[in-house]
Amino acid sequence: MSANILEVRDLQTQFNTLDGVVRAVDGVSFDLARGETLGIVGESGCGKSVTALSILRLIPPETGRIAAGSIKFEGEELTTLGEEEMKRLRGHRISMIFQEPMTSLNPVLTVGTQIAENVVRHMGVPWRAARERACEMLDLVRIADARRRLDEYPHQLSGGMRQRVMIAMALSCDPQVLIADEPTTALDVTIQAQILQLMLELKEKTGTAIVLITHDLGVVAETTERVVVMYAGRKVEEAPVEALFTEPLHPYTRGLMRAIPRLDIEADAAGTRPRLQEIPGLVPRLTQPIPGCAFAPRCGFATGRCAVESPPLLDVGAGHTVACWEVDRVRASAL
Amino acid sequence: MTAYIVRRLFATLPVMAVVALFVFFLLRFAPGDPAAIIAGEDATAEAIAAVRGKLGLDRPMVEQFFVWILQLAQGDMGVSIFSNLAVTRLISQRLEPTVALTLSTLFVAVALAIPVGVVAAWKARKLVDRLVMGFAVLGFAMPGFVLAYILIYFFAVQWQLLPVQGYRPIGEGLWPFVECLILPSVALGVTYMALIARITRASMLEVLAQDYIRTANAKGLATDRVLLLLALKNAAVPIITVIGIGIALLISGVVITETVFNIPGLGRLTVVAVLKRDYPVVQGLILVFAAAKVLVNLIIDISYAFLDPRIRY
Amino acid sequence: MAVITDDLVLPSRRFSLATAIRRNPTIAFGAVLLAALIIVGIFAPYIATHDPFKLSPINRLKPPSERWWFGTDQFGRDVFSRTVYGARVSLIVGLSVALFSSAVGLGLGLLCGYFRKVDGIVMRIMDGLMAIPSILLAIALITLSRPSLGIVILAIVIPEVPRIVRVVRSVVLSIRSQPYIESAIAGGTKNTKLLLRHVLPNTLAPLIVQSTYVCAAGMLIEASLSFLGAGVPPEVPSWGNIIAQGRTFFQIAPWTILIPGVFLAITVLAVNLLGDGLRDRLDPRLARRL
Repeated sequence: MSANILEVRDLQTQFNTLDGVVRAVDGVSFDLARGETLGIVGESGCGKSVTALSILRLIPPETGRIAAGSIKFEGEELTTLGEEEMKRLRGHRISMIFQEPMTSLNPVLTVGTQIAENVVRHMGVPWRAARERACEMLDLVRIADARRRLDEYPHQLSGGMRQRVMIAMALSCDPQVLIADEPTTALDVTIQAQILQLMLELKEKTGTAIVLITHDLGVVAETTERVVVMYAGRKVEEAPVEALFTEPLHPYTRGLMRAIPRLDIEADAAGTRPRLQEIPGLVPRLTQPIPGCAFAPRCGFATGRCAVESPPLLDVGAGHTVACWEVDRVRASAL
Repeated sequence: MTAYIVRRLFATLPVMAVVALFVFFLLRFAPGDPAAIIAGEDATAEAIAAVRGKLGLDRPMVEQFFVWILQLAQGDMGVSIFSNLAVTRLISQRLEPTVALTLSTLFVAVALAIPVGVVAAWKARKLVDRLVMGFAVLGFAMPGFVLAYILIYFFAVQWQLLPVQGYRPIGEGLWPFVECLILPSVALGVTYMALIARITRASMLEVLAQDYIRTANAKGLATDRVLLLLALKNAAVPIITVIGIGIALLISGVVITETVFNIPGLGRLTVVAVLKRDYPVVQGLILVFAAAKVLVNLIIDISYAFLDPRIRY
Repeated sequence: MAVITDDLVLPSRRFSLATAIRRNPTIAFGAVLLAALIIVGIFAPYIATHDPFKLSPINRLKPPSERWWFGTDQFGRDVFSRTVYGARVSLIVGLSVALFSSAVGLGLGLLCGYFRKVDGIVMRIMDGLMAIPSILLAIALITLSRPSLGIVILAIVIPEVPRIVRVVRSVVLSIRSQPYIESAIAGGTKNTKLLLRHVLPNTLAPLIVQSTYVCAAGMLIEASLSFLGAGVPPEVPSWGNIIAQGRTFFQIAPWTILIPGVFLAITVLAVNLLGDGLRDRLDPRLARRL
């Protein structure tokens, strides 16, 4: 049995639009170990959600497709798996939580029904037992008065509660992998912390590996063990979480870090803190193939080579890889 | 729930009041002396005076209106000018064929149009979908009576599969009853079906694009069938609304369909009464048809509360 | 799920006939059909091969042939010529119904949406009118007078007005709650100016779309009324009348009914397609709902 439960290799997912083919994910690889928490970060539009949807093969077939690459789950290739087998996998061995708890639950079905139908479908237990399981799950995600809540509709619950229901639903069949796509973005800050805490605790209990997709480096720092940084459909850096925060090596990762407010830097005599820096420029359009480094046009370190030749992933040791030609100059410069 | 129903029930009162006012004034605005109209063409002066006295036509308008409403409340809709029969009796005699025709059309249209709309949404932009939508656009433009004659021409005249026209009460056996209703129901229902199929497709497409359908997909819910049934429940409110709106189409269509197929129902009665200027009968029929429509709207309103838990009552 | 691609179509502001046809084949198709019918209606005297009113008892109930393209009716009148003249009646009815009910409906809708006091009363009356099925309301109104084209148009307009009022009123209500209107009110802009400058232009797109459908409904109702014998005077060659008069001999002379019937269906189809196309172009919010 391999240590990795999920292995993604050179994944390419493309969409057809009127402007041409969009390469939403362009050659991304990463591994997920059993029981591990992996973060995938990047700005909106960098392809992180599409990566998640690709793993579950939920890319709408009318517009998009997985063009190349391999996704192995427990050693089994998912990109070529039949739709029926895929359906048996979804919600059972790999589950997903979405960003919008407001709209991701069906408004006309009770919460209990929505959890129980998943259990009936995948565990093959009778409806009554599935309702019991649903009740247990609501208890597990710390919804008070679970039995009464089973018969309530989503609109009767608050946003945080709905996300708890989503988590209960996703974990109801003991999945090996839970993919959480921006699970806390739509929630209040205080609720965010509770939900993340809950996910981590449940992970400890169940041993489910988690892929946490977010644009929020703060969330990543608090919850994950390892981080993949994506930019314009590509992986630009991957590192254990401490390494990434102590020594980010890709100029883009550094840019992201400078864009979060910090309290650990002392204010100067005048009481002002250093200004938050934004990354200049815009994410490139993905309809044209990008020959060099996708970040080059916005990068302070870029050279002529960066624009024409794509940098390979460079292993800098201790599980830290980065795709940058100028990594030595970046390392030498101040953060 | 009861409070909600009672509230909705009260909301229909102003609507029916306006209908009653319109019906009341219909006779008053009719050319000539209402008493003379009611009494009939060869009535004597005394007969006309008697009618005037009975209807209180010499009293103020407001008083007349309330007297009339009071009579209505007691189930008295007046007497037909031509047959001298009570309007309520005429209407109840003609009720059965119309109810049979409307219900069979409603049933057939809903049973066919919803699955067709669902399939069109499921196969959106594919051939099936385009065929269905083409049919819907065509069905929407096809006048009921033209379609009726086309159907009669082929099924009754050329192939002699079904009777050309007429109506048999269900008491005379199930097949004769059904046989006579097939062509009228299709002719009457085609516009209605087009309407329902279109809205079903549109609301299904809208629902299928929702986040919770993605969630259901991510749960690996068994088949497309399960997904479609799930989505259908979400799409129910607009579909039910259109089914309700369409009842008005059916009621209008009944007048024409019954004429084409010579069915002795309320529609036929309406046309005859209008052509003969039999005002009391016309008044009674408008009230009955409007009440039926208001009742259907009420039922639809109430059904929302069952279909969508977000609607408060 | 298939809807996703739709959002990526960005309409260009500049108008070009070729792209308009390509984007909206239904508008083009409907418009061409309708234009053809209008031409037929206008030039009816030149297109008709016979006098549509001339009785010719020897030639009664002749099937379609070289001499009588669409055959003859029970009085020996030429069905082709009568059908051509019938296009006139249908177009006149359809266009006048659309015009009058839009005008009245727009006025009432603006008043209702804007003045809350008027709203209560007028909308109650509209609800009441809408409770009566439109054909029933129309034939009831027709009993009040001698049949004539004008009365028929009036009798069709009255049941259609509430539909327009509802559309216009809902647009006005939604515009009224827009911040720029509220700020204009706060700035003391006069009511009439507000209505004309800000509210009216917003109602036009849905009004045009709705009046297209009303036009089609008007043609259908006219034909239905004439068919029932409660429409335009029987001597007028409207499609409904031709069909009504063909009823008795339908089994031996089906062309007297089927041909004007098909013309009626095509005309209504053309107008509906035009409406669908205009709706998609002018009122995308509504288009997504249907």
